Amino acid sequence: MSTEFTSVALGHTASLRDNKPGWFARRGLQAAIFLGVVALAAVPQFADAYYVSLGIPFMAYAVALLGFNLLFGYGGLLSFGHALFLALGAYASAMSARHFGLTSIEGMLLCAVGVSLLVALPIAFVASRFVGIFFGMLTLSFGMLFYSFLNKFYHLTGGDSGMNVPQPTLLGRSYAATGKMEFLTGPFYYYCLVLLALGVLVMWGIVRSPYGLHLQAARDNEVKASYLGVKTRQVRGVAFLISAVYGAVGGVILGVNTGLADPELAYWTHSGHLVFMAVLGGFQQFLGPVVGAFVFILLQDELQAVTQYWRFFLGIVLAALVIGMPGGILGTVRALWNRWRKR
Amino acid sequence: MSDNLNLPRRKALKKIGAGMALGASGLLSAPAFAQNKPLKIGVIAPRGGIAGTAGEGGIRAMEWSVAKLNAMNGIGGRKIELVIQEETSPKETIDRYRKLVLQDRVDAVHGVISSGVSLALAPAAEQSQMLTLLWDGTTQDGVKEMMPNPKYVFRAIDNEVDAVMSSLLAIRHFKGSMVRVAGINADYTYGRNTWTTFTAILKKFGIAHEVVTEQWVKVGTMDLTSNVATLKTAKPDVIFTSMLFADLPVFMRQAHNVGLTENCKFVMPAAGWQQTAMKKEFTPEGVVFGHSTMYFDNPAASPLQKEFVRWYADKYKDYPHWESDRAYFCLQLYKAGVERALAAKSGSWPSSIEIAMAMPGLKVESLGGPASMRADHIANQLIFQGLTTHKNAYDFPTLASVETMSTEQIQKPAGADFWQWLESTKFKV
Amino acid sequence: MSLIGILMAGVFHAAALFLLTSGLQLVFGVQRIVNLACGSLYALGAYVGISFTTWALAQGLPVPMFPLALLAAGLVVGLIGLPLERLISTIYKRPESFQLLLTFSLILVFQDVLRFFWGANPQQLANVAMHYGSVSLWGAQMPAYNVFVILLAIATAVGLGWFLGRTTLGKMLRATAENREASAAMGVNVRMVYLLVFTLGTTLSTVGGAMVVPTAAVSLQIGVDLVVEAFAVIVIGGLGSMKGAAAGALIVGLIRAAALVLYPEVEVLATYVIVLAVLVFKPSGLFGKAAV
Repeated sequence: MSTEFTSVALGHTASLRDNKPGWFARRGLQAAIFLGVVALAAVPQFADAYYVSLGIPFMAYAVALLGFNLLFGYGGLLSFGHALFLALGAYASAMSARHFGLTSIEGMLLCAVGVSLLVALPIAFVASRFVGIFFGMLTLSFGMLFYSFLNKFYHLTGGDSGMNVPQPTLLGRSYAATGKMEFLTGPFYYYCLVLLALGVLVMWGIVRSPYGLHLQAARDNEVKASYLGVKTRQVRGVAFLISAVYGAVGGVILGVNTGLADPELAYWTHSGHLVFMAVLGGFQQFLGPVVGAFVFILLQDELQAVTQYWRFFLGIVLAALVIGMPGGILGTVRALWNRWRKR
Repeated sequence: MSDNLNLPRRKALKKIGAGMALGASGLLSAPAFAQNKPLKIGVIAPRGGIAGTAGEGGIRAMEWSVAKLNAMNGIGGRKIELVIQEETSPKETIDRYRKLVLQDRVDAVHGVISSGVSLALAPAAEQSQMLTLLWDGTTQDGVKEMMPNPKYVFRAIDNEVDAVMSSLLAIRHFKGSMVRVAGINADYTYGRNTWTTFTAILKKFGIAHEVVTEQWVKVGTMDLTSNVATLKTAKPDVIFTSMLFADLPVFMRQAHNVGLTENCKFVMPAAGWQQTAMKKEFTPEGVVFGHSTMYFDNPAASPLQKEFVRWYADKYKDYPHWESDRAYFCLQLYKAGVERALAAKSGSWPSSIEIAMAMPGLKVESLGGPASMRADHIANQLIFQGLTTHKNAYDFPTLASVETMSTEQIQKPAGADFWQWLESTKFKV
Repeated sequence: MSLIGILMAGVFHAAALFLLTSGLQLVFGVQRIVNLACGSLYALGAYVGISFTTWALAQGLPVPMFPLALLAAGLVVGLIGLPLERLISTIYKRPESFQLLLTFSLILVFQDVLRFFWGANPQQLANVAMHYGSVSLWGAQMPAYNVFVILLAIATAVGLGWFLGRTTLGKMLRATAENREASAAMGVNVRMVYLLVFTLGTTLSTVGGAMVVPTAAVSLQIGVDLVVEAFAVIVIGGLGSMKGAAAGALIVGLIRAAALVLYPEVEVLATYVIVLAVLVFKPSGLFGKAAV
């Protein structure tokens, strides 16, 4: 019951409160988003095909993380089972193709959004009662339950072999004639970029809305917030639903990229990587997780090229971040910027 | 044999490559130019996790073979360079595969052990037009959907072949005492398919039996005491298990420790992967033990295999299992394909599709014995299984006598559906 | 061998789970830290236990004394808790989510450290566990060593209960768990308490891993796989409660055994369903403190 939570359980102190940005910071963020989109759009023109192809998982994770961070950064709830929705999105794409004959990306997205809401509703209902460690453990359990389900019910899900995700049509146009790589680094890249931009804009609206403020208030001081009339449990539940939808959209992109939906997508360490990305970029900043996804993918790629012990170095990076740079990349940048301005 | 190139080197090589292309276009003829550039082969294999030992076996065999080939001018005059990437989940492995194709620009990709990964990789390989030779990971389901008519992808022998042979051997040796039959298999497609193969073959030969229990084990689990207890309660005569990861020696040990190995026979088509971990202390004699395409202690082994086994034992203080043979076979097949295509082109280096079209029908000498590639891009090899014995100098059992079958007898023919073929074909025990 | 055998196997699994999770519970109870790396520590204890015991036996250690070698290995390796605690102490004042992240990073680091030293091959100990032969309990045959592990788990539970309940140090620990500020005000050296508790928790996991490994094997994967089962145990039993660890472990072990007999297909799912049911209906678990 919410009123029994102790301040220890709340887990977030005032130091994480996202102060309302002034005119300059708002414009700054809008400029950053605009420049980011332009830069990403230009990438296929200049970069190596391989790096362009890395852009697809980046955008998939960026979308998923926007939703994840609504829950974590703005809501104060750390979910260790968010990979569930990524997997759900990928499997929804596969199933919409196989069972409903929908091979358009719009059909897949619709199916993914619908399924994720269906699945997220009961989980949100249960999970919204908790915060802190319990929320983390509960979401981890749900994630692993889904993982087992994917493996066990193999007649439905293909089991460990997974399910095929066919190359979808974009806006009704079939690209079957073009090679998969051309499709991924060309039309699909731009489609995902549009999805990402839309996702960013919508999330920005959510975060700035009264709902967003209620969510942050519930994060900062639950007792005070409910005293002020904020329905903390409902607000958290809604955040969970939104984050599920974003996760599923990311999952569709991943599924199309790999061409396969497989159970490993739902394993709990995949959720761990999502958290890693959010913290790496700075979960207290709006675009932090997006930056985190970008850096993580490049970092993992470079590390794997150099050593087979890349997990070790990733672990060290995460530990260093948590101990020394909790604000992540963007958080540290902002802190430095603020210090420079005060000189 | 070096590990992957890192970014600055890649950029430098790009410049060098561009310069060489300029120089070569007018002055040098194609083969000479090609001989300056190493032949890059990408290798995708697990290096940790439950299939880590399998991946290591394949990588080591490749490294041995590449060293020998490079000492003799490589393939077609080009030295071979290996670029090794780790195989993990399908999604991550696809990204690494793309790296090999787009960034490292390898000439071919060898490897892959997990079926899930091969199912994701095969369409990607066909779409990238990258010649890909799979060592393993050929369990039946989903294959038809994902790999209808491969041009660039070549597959190893069907995973279920080992189970077919073990079932036939079990009937030959244990006939008459196979009344109570039990199965304990890993809970995934391979485990399920092999168990179904076994029971289907028992039915086919009219062996009157009763399945007293079916256990399904989570892949990689380390505590099987409850499963073993359930098996013991069921009092089986024969236990079939296609487990092949670290869980197999754990199962055997725990089964022995409750006395299950005293009165029960075992049929283990894929135990060879874990051969050195299946110690004599707990692995009984007289059980069907499968070594798939290579049995390291085969008295009829070729000098080539003996030389490899000696080298492996010296260097790694261990004995190789069949994954080494699969890797070696793919490399030899690739070499033969390149040479055949080169001869057809009288001098200039063949493209991937030309090499791919040269490979079906080729016969090579693999570590385990003669092997070939069918027209439908599935391999034909020899399979080695037998009953175990403790009369040897090792601390693990070996085969009392080696039974050899060819996949030409026990693998589904081109175009056939595995289950339909299993039902209709006549086997000889 | 009948149902008794299956039940005993379930109890054995419960014993192994208890050894794994008792450390987790202790640390959470006092410090409110959930150590995601508990499975990795368990694996570390197993790897070191195998190496050390194999070496000791080769040096002439009499076979019947192998459990001592394992115990020694587990205890020594448990000291890694000291530097780990110092590391984690840097984020005590941060939100809870951060410790989950820090301990997750430890999992990544441990995985490759284990791979570096022991390679990709799973490791196992020679079958010395059978040295003590088998016992027959109510008609079920079981290796004597397995019974020893069960007894060890019970002894650990009793010992911890006595330590926390009866000794001064134990009372200090419980006081600190209840109210850190008040305890500090009463003169308890909270820093030392935390160091002690964390190291004790680590040692419980490493010793558990070392003692159980003769019956099975260890691989690089189990650190990550075990976390899920450990969570199931502590959620069912209740976070922070030693009795909860015992009850949770027993329930999980027996559910598995029951599922294998009745309906093998749902073995893994059954555990999760129970976890979720507990979280929905009684989030504090069977013995836990107030719901968080």
